[in-house]
Amino acid sequence: MSSESSVKPAIRAVDLTKQFGDLRAVDDISFDLAASRIYGLLGPNGSGKTTLIRLLTGLAQPSGGHAEVLGVPMPSRANLARIGYMTQSDGIYPALSVWENVRFFAAAYGVRGTDPVRQALDIVQLADRAHSISGTLSGGQRRRLSLACALVHRPPVLFLDEPTVGIDPLLRVQFWGYFRDLAANGTTIVVSSHVMDEADRCDELMFVRSGRVIARGSGDAIREQAGTADLEQAFLRLGESTAANR
Amino acid sequence: MSPLRLGALFRRVVAEIRRDRPSLALLFIAPVLVTGLLTFILREGQAPAVDAVVVNAMGAPGGQIESALRTALEANGGSVREVADEAAASQALRDDQASVAVVLPQPGGGAPTIRVITYGLDLSGDANQLAAVQRALLGTFAGASGVPLPRIEHDTLFGTPSDDPMANFAPAMVGFFTYFFVYLLTGVSFLRERTGGTLERLMATPVTRGEIVIGYTLGFVLFAVLQVAILLGWVLGEVSVPSIGPLPEFSLGLGVATAGSPLLAFLVVLMLALGAVSLGIFLSTFARTELQIIQFIPLVLVPQFLLSGVLFPVSSLPDVIQPFVKIMPLNYAVDGLRQVFVRGADLSVPELQVDLLVLAGVAIFFATIASLTIRRDVA
Repeated sequence: MSSESSVKPAIRAVDLTKQFGDLRAVDDISFDLAASRIYGLLGPNGSGKTTLIRLLTGLAQPSGGHAEVLGVPMPSRANLARIGYMTQSDGIYPALSVWENVRFFAAAYGVRGTDPVRQALDIVQLADRAHSISGTLSGGQRRRLSLACALVHRPPVLFLDEPTVGIDPLLRVQFWGYFRDLAANGTTIVVSSHVMDEADRCDELMFVRSGRVIARGSGDAIREQAGTADLEQAFLRLGESTAANR
Repeated sequence: MSPLRLGALFRRVVAEIRRDRPSLALLFIAPVLVTGLLTFILREGQAPAVDAVVVNAMGAPGGQIESALRTALEANGGSVREVADEAAASQALRDDQASVAVVLPQPGGGAPTIRVITYGLDLSGDANQLAAVQRALLGTFAGASGVPLPRIEHDTLFGTPSDDPMANFAPAMVGFFTYFFVYLLTGVSFLRERTGGTLERLMATPVTRGEIVIGYTLGFVLFAVLQVAILLGWVLGEVSVPSIGPLPEFSLGLGVATAGSPLLAFLVVLMLALGAVSLGIFLSTFARTELQIIQFIPLVLVPQFLLSGVLFPVSSLPDVIQPFVKIMPLNYAVDGLRQVFVRGADLSVPELQVDLLVLAGVAIFFATIASLTIRRDVA
């Protein structure tokens, strides 16, 4: 599938740049991302994936360029009600119960009632642990809770920063199942990962290196572009050729 | 015991602390600063100058006493002024135009009883004034042979002179401990919010900075309210528990007398606690670990403890420190609590109004700068 679309993009980056002192963490990135698709931001640690997500969510001010989500320039506090963000750390309150954590973030997004909380817990299959204290959960359960907190308000755009890091393969499969269901229901998802074997689960990939998008397309298109069947090799080759051209 | 393992542990501890620059700085600088301040207060603390007004009902002998008193007090930087009657003397005390009033009685048989009236809010400060007047008066009488030594009776404009050391200390203690624990609780909690990733996540929701500060304040003030209620109940209350079996009779509570309304005292401490919550949020910006929150105590809380009349009367602090006293929130809380406990002040008393307004101003100031430290651009 092509990313080009005549309809308004769900997410747009225009010449997006973020400078930290001498380090250019995000370097002049532009793209349009269509709705209801899963985009993978792939790259090694420190390549700028998290900074890019923080710029798109409005958590960081760009040094240059701008970002739009659902047609609204970021940062926009009001627009945050339509965005879900699962941080790299769990970002949950360990002293609160599972239910209390999700209810808290639901309220923070302006969502009333208990049904959305229940539904979010059902999605991540934590309903049976609703009254457990979050600090007592396993690592995988905490990631699931973190995801529930990010999607309790049913956002049309969801940013997931390394959602599957540190979780077992079975749970990883479950997570991708959730993401696929959400996308099928109209959610645009941006997933960052440094695990290449997750790449083929995305509709489209963006390889990020040294703050730049060095390749974009489906997994197959990128393999073809790099002339290799292995995505990890493709990343290395494309990275080398980009470095040589700079 | 393995030297290799011991060496590794030693090097690890040293390397870790060496790289924690703020901790290292505080470890060395804070004790120097605190002991330096304490030494300065103790060495340079002044016997406060006594500005006395004298009511002379004694006639000519009183004039001689007044003159001798003037010589003695002026030698120490004080002053003596005669006023017509006790009402004028009280007014001079109230208007802060005198620190002590000396009432010389009408002549009669035997040793005269001289009344020395002090303000009454800061009993340890008053004790300094009283001692200075006593020394001067006794010196005067000792010089005059054949005159019987007077009895000196201490009275206060507000409250009553008390032998109970807690009467002076309890208001300061209530204020300080509330400030201390609310700051610590908020600072550590908010630091966890910053370092645990929840603040980052919270800032990705439509929640505003103001909502965060006010929400935190409401949450912590609830516990501050409970803490203050328990502390005030403990300090002011006294419940006698009768002897049960082999247990002797005993009483619960400190039984400190208060002239004013406990609810008003509660209000003063509540205003202080509001400021402490925002201070905790603000200072958590500069800490990376819970240890560093604790290390702010010698820099932020100990100076307030030393300069707010908790241990040392404000009037006896060196002149150079006096401007700093005026900017210590705890100073206004301690004064406010003494206004309520000792003076029995209500909301119509201007001094208490000033204390409450300053505490409210401090709370608003720190809430504002605390909210400015919560940015969407968090690390």
